[in-house]
Amino acid sequence: MEVSVVRSSQVKIGRAELGRRELGFCKLSGNLRTQISFGQNTSWKNGRLQFTLRAVQSESVRPVKASGPSKRSNSNDGLRLFVGLPLDAVSDCNSVKHARAIAVGLVALKLLGVTGVELPVWWGIVEKEAMGKYEWSAYHSLAEMVQKAGLELHVSLCFHASKQPKISLPDWVSCLGESQPGMFFKDRSGQQFKECLSLAVDELPVLNGKTPIQVYHDFCESFKASFSPFLGSTITGVSVSLGPDGELRYPSHHQSVKRSKIPGVGEFQCFDENMLSALKQHAEATGNPLWGLGGPHDAPSYDQSPDSNTFFKDHGGSWESPYGDFFLSWYSNQLISHGDRILSLASSTFGDTEVTVYGKVPLMHSWYKTRSHPSELTSGFYNTSSRDGYEAVADMFATNSCKMILPGLDLSDVHQLHESRSSPESLLSQIRTACKKHGIEISGQNSSISGAPGGFQQIKKNLLGENKIDLFTYQRMGAYFFSPEHFPSFSGFVRSLNQVELQSDDLASDEEATESIHVNSESGIHMQAA
Amino acid sequence: MSTVSIEPLLHHHCRRGNSRHRSTPQLIHLSSSLSVFPKKVEFRCRSLCNFRHPTALTLRASSTDTAVAATTAPFFKETFPLELTELVEGKIFVRLDHGKKARNWILTVGCTLPGKWILHWGVSHVDDVGSEWDQPPDEMRPPGSIPIKDYAIETPLKKSASSVGDDTSQEVKIDFHLDGAIAAINFVLKDEETGTWYQYKGRDFKVPLVGYLQEYGNVVGAKKGVGILPGALGKLSNLFFKAESSNSQDKNSSSESRGTKEETRSLEGFYEELPIAKQIAVVNSVTVSVRKCPETAKNLLYLETDLPDHVVVHWGVCKDDAKRWEIPAAPHPPETVVFKDKALRTRLQQKEGANGRWALFTLDEGTAGFLFVFKLSESTWLKCKGNDFYIPLSSANNSPAAAKEDQSEGANVDERSAEEIDESSFTEYTNGIINEIRTLVSGISSEKSRKTKSKEAQESILQEIEKLAAEAYSIFRSTVPTFTEEAISETEELPPSVKITSGTGTGFEILCQGFNWESHKSGRWYMELKDKAAELSSLGFTVIWLPPPTDSVSPEGYMPTDLYNLNCRYGTMDELKETVKAFHKVGIKVLGDVVLNHRCAQYQNSNGVWNIFGGRLNWDDRAVVADDPHFQGRGNKSSGDNFHAAPNIDHSQEFVRKDIKEWLCWLRQEIGYDGWRLDFVRGFWGGYVKYYMDASEPYFAVGEFWDSLSYTYGEMDHNQDAHRQRIIDWINATSGAAGAFDVTTKGILHAALERCEYWRLSDQKGKPPGVVGWWPSRAVTFIENHDTGSTQGHWRFPHDKEIQGYAYILTHPGTPAVFYDHIFSHYKSEIAGLISLRNRNTINCRSIVKITKAERDVYAAIIDEKVAMKIGPGHYEPPNEPKKWSKSLEGRDYKVWEAS
Repeated sequence: MEVSVVRSSQVKIGRAELGRRELGFCKLSGNLRTQISFGQNTSWKNGRLQFTLRAVQSESVRPVKASGPSKRSNSNDGLRLFVGLPLDAVSDCNSVKHARAIAVGLVALKLLGVTGVELPVWWGIVEKEAMGKYEWSAYHSLAEMVQKAGLELHVSLCFHASKQPKISLPDWVSCLGESQPGMFFKDRSGQQFKECLSLAVDELPVLNGKTPIQVYHDFCESFKASFSPFLGSTITGVSVSLGPDGELRYPSHHQSVKRSKIPGVGEFQCFDENMLSALKQHAEATGNPLWGLGGPHDAPSYDQSPDSNTFFKDHGGSWESPYGDFFLSWYSNQLISHGDRILSLASSTFGDTEVTVYGKVPLMHSWYKTRSHPSELTSGFYNTSSRDGYEAVADMFATNSCKMILPGLDLSDVHQLHESRSSPESLLSQIRTACKKHGIEISGQNSSISGAPGGFQQIKKNLLGENKIDLFTYQRMGAYFFSPEHFPSFSGFVRSLNQVELQSDDLASDEEATESIHVNSESGIHMQAA
Repeated sequence: MSTVSIEPLLHHHCRRGNSRHRSTPQLIHLSSSLSVFPKKVEFRCRSLCNFRHPTALTLRASSTDTAVAATTAPFFKETFPLELTELVEGKIFVRLDHGKKARNWILTVGCTLPGKWILHWGVSHVDDVGSEWDQPPDEMRPPGSIPIKDYAIETPLKKSASSVGDDTSQEVKIDFHLDGAIAAINFVLKDEETGTWYQYKGRDFKVPLVGYLQEYGNVVGAKKGVGILPGALGKLSNLFFKAESSNSQDKNSSSESRGTKEETRSLEGFYEELPIAKQIAVVNSVTVSVRKCPETAKNLLYLETDLPDHVVVHWGVCKDDAKRWEIPAAPHPPETVVFKDKALRTRLQQKEGANGRWALFTLDEGTAGFLFVFKLSESTWLKCKGNDFYIPLSSANNSPAAAKEDQSEGANVDERSAEEIDESSFTEYTNGIINEIRTLVSGISSEKSRKTKSKEAQESILQEIEKLAAEAYSIFRSTVPTFTEEAISETEELPPSVKITSGTGTGFEILCQGFNWESHKSGRWYMELKDKAAELSSLGFTVIWLPPPTDSVSPEGYMPTDLYNLNCRYGTMDELKETVKAFHKVGIKVLGDVVLNHRCAQYQNSNGVWNIFGGRLNWDDRAVVADDPHFQGRGNKSSGDNFHAAPNIDHSQEFVRKDIKEWLCWLRQEIGYDGWRLDFVRGFWGGYVKYYMDASEPYFAVGEFWDSLSYTYGEMDHNQDAHRQRIIDWINATSGAAGAFDVTTKGILHAALERCEYWRLSDQKGKPPGVVGWWPSRAVTFIENHDTGSTQGHWRFPHDKEIQGYAYILTHPGTPAVFYDHIFSHYKSEIAGLISLRNRNTINCRSIVKITKAERDVYAAIIDEKVAMKIGPGHYEPPNEPKKWSKSLEGRDYKVWEAS
């Protein structure tokens, strides 16, 4: 028998067949803003050849030559679905990681009818070495990949650090932090939180004579300048990090809590020198200097339940006392002012572009069914059974004309541990009500805990319910995302969202491309006849 | 399968680090391939029944006048092109020269062979770790360069200005400034005509610019030029290193830049040559003209060719259309001999004063046709589209036939050129996934404009999406080395129950491969095996793997033709049924060896390509994947690697899947097979396997996913995670519906035993380094099969160490498979002992293994805390706390203990 040496390369010969497939059913939301550009000769030729093959395959149905410039409506009727790229899409040595996997993934998403992707851009990577020294190249190539895939891009400017995968703050910032411990949040026991800067230093010149706000601002400006060709076309949204994990909150929970465990109430984070001095000033100004000597002394610690100390007790807890009100107002106002500073710098930076600015608000849903809502209080939202803490937040977003990202759309009450007195659905609804009142549009996300039970159902319910949310970002691409356990349910979810719009046909068509399809399909037919 | 030879296994060492730079299936490794190719001419048209090159020979009508002096006008005249490949040798040269300015240098890379050469290159920066390339700065890129993704540049080679005479050398010059940031320039050469990549010793060429490290094995021309080429390779390649500088200007500039003296010195006069060889298609032709001899009314056939050397025409005549060869009456041309009473052999005459050879044949009036083939050497024959050349002689039936040929010919040529373009561009195509996306986007828009949204289309997209997701998954998985062991252990935590799943059987299976490469020879293998059923059962086997049952082009059965014809060299269908029954009787389950990747056609299409199938499943070329040009399939692109010796089946076609599903179910029912051994599953997507498994509900299934391990400098890497990951990914794609042969473990055992490097048997996490360490329940461990061993010996287990291999796999988790040749050998009693020990201690595919020692000369492990074992010459005794161990088995370099 003939023995042939099969020496095939380990890299598969691409997914070349993609282009040849029937692609008609995709719902593309009509937001293909980018002109499809055909670059160098080689790639162009390749493109043509693909069509040739495809023409053969599709039994020589000749494509109708489309005419006219791209007609596209940026209608917001449909749901716009985004998928987050891996947190470490750009590795900390500033190169694109998993480039091929992402490229393949982008194609899959595009085929699935996803509108775009979300890309975390890390302060600690771009401005890693020295202040003002930005390195955008890897993010640039990612943006190009996204553009070429015909997808939109939402960029999250992350001024925080990440534990998993490990992405730190810029080296020089960490270095400065060593000598200025006040740069970081501190809890009652003196433990520092080093994954973002304390909001109390926002306007202090702690970074080589510049304030963090200035540094953030410069960063945004550099981003804007560097990505100007993409802004408004490929990049349609930018979100800025407002605190730990990008969310507007205090790092009141140091460890992420396992789902199987009842989360504690968290701790107040007001014990670094700058917070304490601000508190002191505020106390003195309001005529209660003794209240400014420290934070609440009767609050439980991180993992404890509300009842384990007196501050959060449902009845007669200190939170309801005048001191409690004093402290909690101050504590939450600090957070809101911080949010205001960042969002206003972002909206002023991107105000002259067509990019929408977003900020993210957390869904601190544990203990929501208690009267004091301790999780929300420690994280900086003065929201209790008797006070709406989200009005002020929504107002702040409205002032800056920013949209709000809300996570946790996949969480349903029934799947929460009963003991945690949690109610993600009620909290979500409360925040949405506040937003509606202030005319703030919401962009939904799932909680980053992968695969909450019944998640897709819940998301769908939230998106398609009476108060429609028209933008949703699914977190997040990676091995699990594409795994056989997960991906089929995701694609089922997407299809179920899109079913209604199968007929939508508002895509741009590139005349040049179509023309060449036409020409080449001739030869394809010829081949077939031969 | 018999079709993967040992060679690629040994030479794949370059892949891990930089495999993404290239994606053509053909790689020529300079150092190795050169030494083995003798300089010779090879004809491409072999006449194996199913292995036809569509490009081999095409008929072409020609109006070109030739030198035949015709007294009467020839009534037949045709020129047939004869395409053959020739091995041409040349060299690649790499040179560094000074540029006009100080610290400016010019790197010249050239090649003396004709072709469309592309330099695929990138740079390494000084602080780079790893072997990734970066794109060179803009100013370095010569005009005409094209960036390939974010790490490479492709620059075409141009005809060199300095070339003299008919020297066809081409070169590319890269100007660069030596500023210390760039540590090296890396490249490979690509021949666009053939899509072949040329590397340096299986790795990228690397031209170091600053203090390179000697450890890079692929540094071109390191100081110890010859020394870095191991052994014989050094002798064969004429690589040399000129230390002296040839140019006074060089000296000036080097003294000028004193600070960089060190680096410039090593650059000075850098010049390297490397021999390369390339197969070039040479088109010769043969012209046949026939005219009537006015005097005798006989036909005079004049044959002329420009074939080289001494060509013999092997010819005969026929009396009718049946084209049966006969020997014509004398006179015969000079230098003619009779061959086996059937044909004549005539040596062609040298043409006077010109190149070419000719012969003149005088043929009687009654002959209907003239048949011939060329014989170039004992084994090389040159035919016309796989058939004999046939020249019709009676002018009556001549014209229609010829006309017909003409027509199909025209089309043929067109298609060929289209295909060629296709092929070459396709290679380029693979370079840029971004291009795919581009294509995709415009594809969508055009589709969109058509508004044809059939359900079928949707399904095919869904499939596409699934495939993409699977691919993305596998890449993400492999780039994240932290294999989700939690996930596995979760599934593995299930207590080994007797729940039967297709991937594992009961979990307590012990497999016997019931044949070797010679088993077909007796013609009654089924019967012979049937007689051994009771014995195999008593040895403790629970599953037997029978040879492929279908009618096949090759006697071993791996080139199936009619899937429903189960009469083959191993016996008849009835004998097969009888054998299966006999095994069932003794409690052994039977696996059928099914070849789903490819199938040999029984008929040719209009182009003479064998891609029309016969038998009950009379598929046509729509069932053949589109990306193997040899078979001109009209299906979709293959979802896996291609097996090049036969048409690869396109499983994305619904009718194909339906037919295969029915066939498998039929085999289950009709023959009584309990499960499958799946041949060459690299060839198609695992998701299809899942579909087939779901449909045929096997008791046990195992796939042959065989690709090569990672080697560095010819030495096997300790970490074979990427290799086992690929197997795991396949199993995953089948959703675990089938297990896979643990090729990784076999490879590592090879290295460990052969070189006495038993430390290799523990991975970095202290687990078994093969598939069995990651997904034991789906790993079918083996040490030899009909391809690796037997009389093929593609990748034979280290001699005399087989029993150590069995001591390993038969005590470890996974499902062990024992090769027939080993069972019926002097190892029989030892293997029997190991099997019974395994059964006695209920070691199963999910048993827990604790490696207690993995050192140079000894490996030891405790399994399920019931069995302790060691292999290797070194010393090991299991600790007698907290358990007492008693020795059960002992042999050459292995020992096994049981807890007492």
